[in-house]
Amino acid sequence: MKVQVFASLKEHFEQEFELAEPIQNVEALKAHLAEKNGAAGGILSVCRFAVDDTFVKDDYRLQKGDTICILPPSSGG
Amino acid sequence: MTIPYLSATSLDLVGLLASAHHPQAGAVVLFSGDVRDNNLGKAVDYLDYEAHESMASKMIAQVLEEAKKRWNLSIALAQHRTGKVGVGESAVVVITASPHRKEAYAANRYIIDFIKHEVPIWKCEYFADGTYKWGGNCNCQEVTGDANKHIYEFDEPRA
Repeated sequence: MKVQVFASLKEHFEQEFELAEPIQNVEALKAHLAEKNGAAGGILSVCRFAVDDTFVKDDYRLQKGDTICILPPSSGG
Repeated sequence: MTIPYLSATSLDLVGLLASAHHPQAGAVVLFSGDVRDNNLGKAVDYLDYEAHESMASKMIAQVLEEAKKRWNLSIALAQHRTGKVGVGESAVVVITASPHRKEAYAANRYIIDFIKHEVPIWKCEYFADGTYKWGGNCNCQEVTGDANKHIYEFDEPRA
């Protein structure tokens, strides 16, 4: 499973990285990443997650080949 | 007219406006979101925008289509910058055209609110004192209690 992060999350994680650990769903991924990097816990809790350009919810079951994008709250304009 | 929804180079406001006239539209509204020289009491040097480009483009296309139908617009277009945008430059443009001005104004406000709140685009502010800060666009969370639930400025109930 590949993870891509954006904007301020790049200060906590590589922009793109692989996760070998089996992680069941988005909620578990959030917890896993927050455990890996405690300083990112706050921002991770308000991020949206997307797979294949579609937003997914906390209970989305992650597949091995997924690329999951972690999107902080938008700040365009 | 289809234009790229994201641009890494300066937005051509005059060219876009020139392309946004329509024989059935008596009203054309152009909104440009420009970079201010200050924020949070600090002098701003420039902004740097990042996007999830495929999602951002799709979402801008969708909101333009939605707004066109909802307000019966003749034209709706929008383009957002990526990369470094200097003070006084346009970071985002929204143009709406409709038979009468009410719809063009309402749709324009809806589209820019949607882009700012929902579309995966982020700004990083670079200040004159050498510091920088990501994000921090809206204060909706203080009212809604959820960083991803936003307040839309226009108050017309959704159809």
